[in-house]
Amino acid sequence: MTELNIIICVKQIPDPEAPLSDVSIDAENLEVVVDAPQVISPFDENALEAAIQLKEELDGKVTVLSMGKKLSDSVLRKALAAGADELILLEDNGFEKLDSHSTATVLAAAIKKIGSFDLVLAGRQAGDWDSGQVGLILGEMLGLPCISLAREITVEDGSVIVKKTVPEGYERVKAKLPALITVSNEVGELRYISRTRMLKMMRGGDIPAWTAEEIGVSDDAIEKMNIASLTTPPDMTRDCQFLEGSPDQQAAALVDVFVSLR
Amino acid sequence: MSAHRIMFWQIEYTWLFYLLSAIAVLLFLIGAGSHIWVWKKNSKSMSLKGVGHALNKMCIDIITGRRLIRGDMAAGLMHFLIFWGFFLLFIGTCVLVAHEHLFEFLEGARYLWFSVLMEIGGISLLVGIIWGLVRRYLQRVPRLERRAEDAILPLWFVLMVLSGFFLEGARLAANSPQWADWSFVGNWIAGLIPAAAAERLYPSFWWVHALLCLGFISVVCYSKMFHILSAPASIFFSSASPVLPPSIEDETGRLDVAEAVFYDGCMRCGRCVAACPSSGAGEAYAPRDFVQWARKQMWQTQFPLNDIRLWNRGDYEGTNESMWYCTTCRACLEVCPVYGAAFEAVAKERRQAVEKGTLVPTILNQTLEKLFRYDNPWESSKKQRGAWAEGLDIADLTKRGAVTDLCYFVGCTTSFDDRARSIAHSFTKILQLTGVNFGILGKKEPCCGDIARRVGEFGLFEEQKEKCKTLFDQYGITEIATSSPHCYHTLANDYPDSSFRARHYTMVLKELLKNKKLSFEKPLNVTVTYHDPCYLGRHNRIFNEPRDVIRAIPGLRLVEMEHSRENSLCCGGGGGRMWQDLKGERKMSEVRLEEAEATGAQILITACPMCLIMMEDARKAAGTREGFRVMDLNELLLEALENK
Amino acid sequence: MKEVLILGEVKDASLDPRILELLGAGKKLTEASGDKLSVLLMGDRVEDVAEAAASYGPDSVYKIEHPLLERFNADLWLAALEQACAEIKPSILLMSHSFIGMELGPRLAYRLDSRLTTDCIDLTIDSEDGRLLGTKPVSGGNAICVFKCAGQTQMVTVRGNVFPPAESGNAGGAIASINVTIDKSMSRLESLEIVEEDTVALDKANVVISGGAGLGDEDGFEMLEELAEALGKSFGSVMVGCSRMAVDKGWMSSDHQIGLTGTIIAPDIYVAVGISGAIQHLVGMVHSKKIIAINTDPSCNIFKVADYGIVEDFEQVVPALIKRLEEVL
Ligand SMILES: Cc1cc2nc3c(=O)[nH]c(=O)nc-3n(C[C@H](O)[C@H](O)[C@H](O)COP(=O)(O)OP(=O)(O)OC[C@H]3O[C@@H](n4cnc5c(N)ncnc54)[C@H](O)[C@@H]3O)c2cc1C
Ligand code: SF4
Ligand code: SF4
Repeated sequence: MTELNIIICVKQIPDPEAPLSDVSIDAENLEVVVDAPQVISPFDENALEAAIQLKEELDGKVTVLSMGKKLSDSVLRKALAAGADELILLEDNGFEKLDSHSTATVLAAAIKKIGSFDLVLAGRQAGDWDSGQVGLILGEMLGLPCISLAREITVEDGSVIVKKTVPEGYERVKAKLPALITVSNEVGELRYISRTRMLKMMRGGDIPAWTAEEIGVSDDAIEKMNIASLTTPPDMTRDCQFLEGSPDQQAAALVDVFVSLR
Repeated sequence: MSAHRIMFWQIEYTWLFYLLSAIAVLLFLIGAGSHIWVWKKNSKSMSLKGVGHALNKMCIDIITGRRLIRGDMAAGLMHFLIFWGFFLLFIGTCVLVAHEHLFEFLEGARYLWFSVLMEIGGISLLVGIIWGLVRRYLQRVPRLERRAEDAILPLWFVLMVLSGFFLEGARLAANSPQWADWSFVGNWIAGLIPAAAAERLYPSFWWVHALLCLGFISVVCYSKMFHILSAPASIFFSSASPVLPPSIEDETGRLDVAEAVFYDGCMRCGRCVAACPSSGAGEAYAPRDFVQWARKQMWQTQFPLNDIRLWNRGDYEGTNESMWYCTTCRACLEVCPVYGAAFEAVAKERRQAVEKGTLVPTILNQTLEKLFRYDNPWESSKKQRGAWAEGLDIADLTKRGAVTDLCYFVGCTTSFDDRARSIAHSFTKILQLTGVNFGILGKKEPCCGDIARRVGEFGLFEEQKEKCKTLFDQYGITEIATSSPHCYHTLANDYPDSSFRARHYTMVLKELLKNKKLSFEKPLNVTVTYHDPCYLGRHNRIFNEPRDVIRAIPGLRLVEMEHSRENSLCCGGGGGRMWQDLKGERKMSEVRLEEAEATGAQILITACPMCLIMMEDARKAAGTREGFRVMDLNELLLEALENK
Repeated sequence: MKEVLILGEVKDASLDPRILELLGAGKKLTEASGDKLSVLLMGDRVEDVAEAAASYGPDSVYKIEHPLLERFNADLWLAALEQACAEIKPSILLMSHSFIGMELGPRLAYRLDSRLTTDCIDLTIDSEDGRLLGTKPVSGGNAICVFKCAGQTQMVTVRGNVFPPAESGNAGGAIASINVTIDKSMSRLESLEIVEEDTVALDKANVVISGGAGLGDEDGFEMLEELAEALGKSFGSVMVGCSRMAVDKGWMSSDHQIGLTGTIIAPDIYVAVGISGAIQHLVGMVHSKKIIAINTDPSCNIFKVADYGIVEDFEQVVPALIKRLEEVL
C-alpha cells in the first residue's frame, strides 16, 4: 500500500480536569464558564496518538482539523508537536456552540475541500458536552464505513482492522479504506510533548484558517445547539450534609438518600 | 659471583618473544586509543580546572585505596593486596626490562631485595585474587556479579602468578644459586622439582608464563581490567572537569567527559547497588546495570566496531522503564570508587525520553501537564495554593505594600498535601513566635521546577525558573526560606546568577537558635531519631543544622539510625518517584521506617514534605509500634515551644 | 396520532432491563400527551421477547425478524431501523445510552435528518411548543443542560439507572411485524472475532463503595461486599474499591485501588468508608456525581468533597445500612 493519509478532528475545550470550584454557570448566556486553560479534548488526544502511531508505522500524512469560533494556536499546535504534519483551523464567527450535526457539516465540508484521505479519526466524545455524535455523523455524511470505540487500529492491504469495545469485551472488525473511526482512551495516552518541542512548534509557520465561506458552508446549513436552560447541579459546592442521629437513624437517612438517587 | 639472574636462560626463538610482545603492546595501545577516541567523540569540549588538586586526589585514592577501604573494609583490603601485588610485579618486570636492555644494575644486594619484593608482590596478588574469588563465589557477596569475565580474569591472574613461581622454582632447582633462599617461594617450589627435570621443564614454564602475561596485556583494554587506567582517569576528571548540570542548550545524548570516562571506569563493583535504596527495596533497577547499559550505548553509537568489550558485551537490556526508578538520592555517588553519578546517567536518559515523549509513563505525563498548566503537580487549579494560610495573619507579598525580611517559599507539596500542610502551619507559627518578619507568595507562588528538572523536562524547568525569578524580582525578594529541601536545592543550585539567597528552613531555625531567638523552656522527654532528606544532607551537606536544633530541646534524646548523614536511606519520594507507579518487593519508605523503629525512638523526625508523607504513609501501612510518630522538625519544635 | 417509539434491546434472550426504564420514561411522556407508546424489537427471532415487552403495556410492539439481524451489526440494524422509522414515523424515538444506542443514535439521526440528545437523565415536554426536552449533565457533571429536540423524529438516548423501570401492566398491545429489505452487502464491517473479557473494571461501575485504612482489617471489606450486594439490587453495577492504604495492608488487590496511582473513576455514587481523603485519593474520585462519606473523624478531608456525611464508626453504620436497604429496596 502507498502512504496513509489520515485526517483527524480535534476539539479545543477548557480543561475538563478543572475542579468544581473553578466552574461556574452563566445561565443567562447559557454558558458553562470554566476558569481553566484550554486543552485538546482528551479522547481527541487519544485519537491523535493513534493517528501518529499509524503514520510512524506506515508512513503517510496526518492532517488535523479543528473547528471553533476562536481557536488557540498555542493549544492546537500541540498536535503538530506530537507529530502531525498539518493543522488546519476552521474558524468563523458562526462556528460557535454548533450542534453535533452542524459541527459534522463543517468538518465534512473541510474534508471534502482537502480531498483525498484514507482514514478519518475522531475522539469518541468531547470532554465538554460529552455528546459523542460528531464522529459518527461525519462518517455518515462522508458515506464511510463507521467504526466506533476503537482501542487498537491496524492498517493492512487497503483495509483497517480495529479492536472495538463491545459489552462482552472487544470485537475485531475489518473495513475497507477509507473509513471513519471514533477512538476511545484504550488506544493509549498522547505521548508527552516536551516544552522545548512545543516552543519550537510555536515558532513554526502560520497555520491556515478556513472560514465558513472558504469551505462553502452557508449560514443556513448550520444551527446552534438548541439549549433551553443551563443550570448548576444542586450539589456544585458540595456542602456536606451530615446525617445525624444514632447509627440506625443515620442508616435510615442514608437509605433515603439512596432512594432519591436511584 | 654476586647475586643476579640469567636472562633468557635456555630460551630459543627470543625473536618470537619480541614479536609477540610487540603485538601485545600494539593491541594494548589500540585498545587504549579506542577508549580515548570514544571519550573524545562523546563529550563536549572540556575545560580542566583544579588539575593539581585532581591529580593529588587521584594519586592518594589509588595508592592508599582509602575510598575502597572506607566503603567496605574487606573489599578494600582485598583490592589493596591485588593492587600492590600487581603494581610491584609490574614495576619489577619493567625493571628487568631496563636491566636487560639499558644498563645492568640488578646485582648483588640490589638483586636480592628485588627478589624479595617480587616474592611479596606475587604472594600479595595471589592472596588478594583468591580472597576475591572466595568473596564472589563462596561468600557470594550480594553486590557482586558472577559473569564470565569475573571468573576468567582472576583465574588468569592466578595462572600468571603460579606459572611465575614455577618458572622461578625450576630455575632455582636447576641452578641452585647460593642466594636462592631470598626467593623464598620459588625456593620452596624448587624443592618439589628434581634438578634434572627442572632444566628440561624450564623453557616450557617460561613460555607459558610469557604467553599468559602477554595475553593479559592484550586484553586489558578489552575487559573490565581496563579500570586500571580508566578508574584513575575517572577520579581525575570527576574533579578536574565535573559533570555540569545539563542545560537546555545541550544536544540530547551528549556527555560530559567525566561521564564518558566514568562509564568506562565502572568495573561493576556493585557498591552503588548496595547503597541504592531502589535496589535495596527489591525494585527492578540497579545503578551499576544502568551505567553498564549507558556504557554499551556509548560504544554502540560512537564506535564503528560496536562494543569494545570481549565479554559481557550486550546483556544489559530494558532500560526503558528502569530509568524511572532512580530517586536521584545521590547514595551511589557517595560510594562509587570512581566518583560516578549513576543518577546523572539516568537524567540524560530521562531527558531523551521526555523529548521523545512516547516513553514517559502515564502518571508522569499527566503530572507534567498539570505542572505546566497549574504550576503544581497536585491540583488542576492554582486557587487553593495559599488556602492553608487563610486566617493566619500571614503577609502576602504579592499584595500591595507588603514588605518583609523573609519570603517563605511554601512549595507545591506543602501547599496542597493535607499532611504536609502542617509543615507550613508549624513553621509559620514558629516564625511568628520568634518575631521574624516574613511573608508568602500566596496563590501566585509557582513551582520551582524541581520535579521537571529531575525527570528530565528541562524546557519546563526553564519556564518555571523564569516564572520564579520574575516574581522574585517583581516583589524585590532577596531572602527565601523553603519548606522543601527539593525547592532549596533547586533554587540554590539550579538557578545560576540569582539575585536572592535561598535557604532551607532548618538553616533559618539554626540561625534563630544561634541568635537566641529560639529557645525552649520545658524539657520534652522523648527519644527521637532524625532522617536526613537526600537533598538536604547528601546533596547539600546540611547534616548538623537540624541536629543542632533538635538537640536544643531540653530533655530530648536524639539517637541515630543505622544509616544516617551521608549514608542516609532515601524515603523513595524524590526524583519524580512520587508520581510514578513502580513497585518492588518492598517500599523504600518501609525499609527506612524499620530502621527508625529499630533505634527505639518514639518519633521519627524529617525535614522534607515528601519524606513526611512517604514515611507517614509507610507508618500507616506497615503498622508500627503503638505511639510511634512521624513528625516534621517544625511540628516537634512547636510541640516543645508550646509545652508550658 | 403521534407515536413514541422505544428501541428495544435483548439481553440473554430476554428484554434488557434498561428497556424497562425506557418504558417507564415513555409512559411518563405518553400519559401526559396521550400519544401512542410502542416498542420496536429486532433480531433473528424475537417473538418471545416481543410478548414480554407487550406485557408491560405499550400500545403496540413491532418486531423485525431477519436472520441477518441475529447479532448486533450496526450497518444492518441501522438499515432496518431506518426502514422501520420510515414506516412508523414516530415523533419521538427513545434509545438506551448503551453500546447499541451510542452507535446507532447519531447515525440514525443523520439518516432521518433529525437531531439527537445523548445520555439524558430527564425527559419532559415543552408546554409551549410540545417539543421534547432532554436534560443532560455536561462539563463532566458540573452543569445540567436542557436541550430542545429538533427534527421530525425527536431522538434521545437515555442514561441507565435514572428512570424507574416500568411495572408490568395490562398486556394488550398488539404485536406487529415489519418487513425490511436488508442484505449482507449493506454491512461494511466484517467481524473477525469477539473476545470476551472479564470486565470488572471499576470505571464501568455505577456505584463504587470504597474502603480505607479505617476498616481495620479484611473483614471490613466483607461488610462492604454485603453492602454492595444490597445496593446492587437496584443500582446495576456496584463494585468495591479501596484506598491505597488498603492495598498496602494486603486487604485488597491493587486493581481495586482508586486514586492517583490507581483507577480514576466518576461513578454516579461513590461511598467512602474509613477513608481520610488524601489528595492522592481524591484525584481518583472527586468527579463522582454524588459522594457519600462515612468516617469517625468529622474534620477529615473526605467530608469536604462529600455530598452526604456520616460521622460514626462504620461497624455501627454499615450493618444498619445493609439491614435497612434490604427492608426498603
Ligand atoms: C506517591 C503517592 C501516590 C499515592 N497514590 C494513591 C492512590 O492512588 N490512591 C490512594 O487511595 N492513595 C494514594 N496514596 C496514599 C495517600 O496519600 C493516603 O495515604 C491514602 O489514600 C490514605 O488512605 P486511607 O484514607 O485509607 O487511610 P488513612 O489516611 O489512614 O485514613 C483512615 C481514615 O479512617 C477513619 N477511621 C478510622 N477508624 C474508623 C472507623 N471505625 N469507622 C470509620 N472511619 C474510621 C479515620 O478517621 C481516617 O480518616 C498515594 C500516596 C503517595 C505518596
Ligand atoms: S541516586 Fe539513589 S536511587 Fe538513583 S541510582 Fe543512585 S542510589 Fe539509586
Ligand atoms: S557505578 Fe561505581 S559503584 Fe557502581 S558498579 Fe560502577 S564503579 Fe562500582
